[in-house]
Amino acid sequence: MAVRQFSGRLSWRPNIAGLVTMAICGLVWEMAIQVGVFDYQYLPAPSAIIRGAGELAASGELITATLHTLESVFLGWAIAVAAGVSFGLLLGSSPLLRRYSLATIEVLRPMPAIAFVPVALLLFGFSIQTELMVIVLPSLWPVLINTMGGLMGVHARLGEVGRTFRLSRAAILYKVFLPAATPAIMVGVRISLTLAVVLAVLAEMVGNPEGLGYAVVSQQQALRPDLMFVYVMVIGLLGLALNALLVGVVSVSFPAASAEFKGPRW
Amino acid sequence: MAGGETTGQQQRDFVFSCRSVSLKLPYQGGNRWILADISLDIRRGELFTIVGPSGTGKTTLIRVLGGLTPCSSGSVRINGQEITGPPEGVVIVFQDYSHALLQWRTVFLNVALGIEGRVAASELRSQVLGVLRLVGLEKNADDYPWQLSGGMQQRVQIARALAVKPAVLLMDEPFAALDAMTKASLQDELLRVKQETGCSIVFITHDIEEAVYLGDRIAVINGTPGRIERTFDVTLPKPRDQIITRQLTEFLKFRYAVHQAIGGMTRWP
Amino acid sequence: MVKRGELSAFLRLAAAEIPPARGLVPLLTLLTVWQLLAPGPSAYFPAPFEWWRATALLWDSGQLLPAFAATVTTFVEGLALAVAIGAGLGVTIGTSRPVERALGPLLEFMRAIPPPVTVPIATLLLGYDVTMKLTVVALSAIWPILLNTSSAAARVEPLLFDVARTFRLSTADWIRQIVVPSVVPFILLGIRVAIPLAIVVTLLVEMLTSLPGIGALMIQSQRNFQSAQVYALLVMVGLFGFVVNDLFAIIEAIVLRRWPARGVFRSS
Repeated sequence: MAVRQFSGRLSWRPNIAGLVTMAICGLVWEMAIQVGVFDYQYLPAPSAIIRGAGELAASGELITATLHTLESVFLGWAIAVAAGVSFGLLLGSSPLLRRYSLATIEVLRPMPAIAFVPVALLLFGFSIQTELMVIVLPSLWPVLINTMGGLMGVHARLGEVGRTFRLSRAAILYKVFLPAATPAIMVGVRISLTLAVVLAVLAEMVGNPEGLGYAVVSQQQALRPDLMFVYVMVIGLLGLALNALLVGVVSVSFPAASAEFKGPRW
Repeated sequence: MAGGETTGQQQRDFVFSCRSVSLKLPYQGGNRWILADISLDIRRGELFTIVGPSGTGKTTLIRVLGGLTPCSSGSVRINGQEITGPPEGVVIVFQDYSHALLQWRTVFLNVALGIEGRVAASELRSQVLGVLRLVGLEKNADDYPWQLSGGMQQRVQIARALAVKPAVLLMDEPFAALDAMTKASLQDELLRVKQETGCSIVFITHDIEEAVYLGDRIAVINGTPGRIERTFDVTLPKPRDQIITRQLTEFLKFRYAVHQAIGGMTRWP
Repeated sequence: MVKRGELSAFLRLAAAEIPPARGLVPLLTLLTVWQLLAPGPSAYFPAPFEWWRATALLWDSGQLLPAFAATVTTFVEGLALAVAIGAGLGVTIGTSRPVERALGPLLEFMRAIPPPVTVPIATLLLGYDVTMKLTVVALSAIWPILLNTSSAAARVEPLLFDVARTFRLSTADWIRQIVVPSVVPFILLGIRVAIPLAIVVTLLVEMLTSLPGIGALMIQSQRNFQSAQVYALLVMVGLFGFVVNDLFAIIEAIVLRRWPARGVFRSS
């Protein structure tokens, strides 16, 4: 029976000052609109946003848009992770391959994701493939670089242990290097997920007219700021929720790796 | 005469030997000799300690004996066969146990590393538990290394090495990173384990007293590049005891002899 | 500010960091194969040479330079604004523990909203003009800078606080002479993260609103099915991103040449 030791239970002192500040801001916002201090035509009161949320949830539009974006995110992210880990493992284990590809990566990596939108529209029109083209490549880089770096950063001693026990090269890669690099790989995977959400929304705003990104833009153009803000909030929550989900899944399946996984914010 | 060479007659008593092993490594444009003309013979079932100050190439020697680093000249043989890489029947136990153990595997799976896939599944469990029992860690089989103390982790590493039933165990200053009391207890445990398994051990250390306490024979390595200054039999009574043995006059004489050898002078006590 | 000998030694060091040129082989191979297999104009896969021709055409037509200028101007101004406000606010928030705790969740909440999404919001609130464009770019770029700066300012080595008190430094001096130099590496880190964000948002605004810029040009080309032009602009944007990142890396290295490797902070 395994005796697992989770590295830290949920120790969370509620940030009273913070919560109070947010509550006050929300209240002030609501009051200002009601009283008429802020007569910005396009700044909705929190109450209007909540009502809008109800409206969209009831009509099913919210669910449809969210599901579409989730579909793009998962597909794009999965492809990015698969490709990123594969190439990362290849490059991490072969100095020769690295010499013949690092410069290409350095040139392609700074390419702004949005620049792919016109090309994607050209090739795929209004379809989910357009979104995928925008999502996959930029999401691939964090996974590739972290996998490669993780593999290269494995302590030399571990390789020697593999050799002193006369394990085959494949066995050393699979039993020793891969698990040792897993924490770093997981960091890349987490960054990639956050990025994939942003990119999916981006692709939907200017590319494929479906999903949450498109909903935000179309509500803006329809001059329905209350509904627009509902979608904005959902996007924010979606990112947070997916991130938390991933952290949870990793904590359970890799207890040893999870401490390093929760890593720094930026 | 320096070196532990013997006549062909006694060759069959020797499980492990190296002849005229020298090693140079590239260094700042040229080469630097790390080891020069090392010749040793390890008998079956003996604990052979190699002692010397830092910088004499002790760790490099272990790596050459273990097949991790090829020598520039000379040969290393196990049971007469020259080695060309990590040989069968020889396992290295490293000093930095926390890096040498697979921290993501349980103790059980760590110990199984050398034999999984090579031994029938039914056999695996009994062999691993058997060797864990030998080092006194059978209750920790499902713990992770990072949950254990330094001494326990080193015992896991030793158990892992013993699981493959090696003819020769090469130990690179295995107790150097441990506190004095843990070190003493592990020294005795090592002697007991050797008694029970009958494997040969090559034990590298910079601790002179440890070398004398543990060894059946001692080789003193010194100088840059490292050479074997002296080799001699340690004729202390067995079983060794941390208090009694270390107080014996013979113990002090051997200790003195090693000090002298390291000091550069070879003089009988 | 930078001595001559220092600069050349530094450039030599920088050159050593560049990955070997043969690493470009995959990219060059791709382009060559593409050119050979699809040598002419095409609706979907125009040859690389066609991209070059399209670029020349754009230049001659007088469209390229103004669009490029508009994009670069917005990007630089927006980034500068973000740095000034972000760093300033960051230091202010970070040095005051209660303020940091109070504003923390609010800032986190706003950070969770992806920068692209702020564009429609800004469009609605501020209209379709250059001011909005600038505001939204600055707003997107501000978060990494602000958050990095405030968290760094809050984590300055407490021992230095005692040092300041021993030397009876005023709060202004404390901030100016100890906090600010300590957080400079983190401001730079924030800028490094902010740069790609600013580029994306700049282009996004241009694409959504057709305000003048490379983004507008890209969408226009796509709508007119001028495929070679689309690819040409993609390459240009890519080069721009590459150059800006490298330029900043050099600036960062020059500024940080005398900083310890993050040694002034409490280990987390």
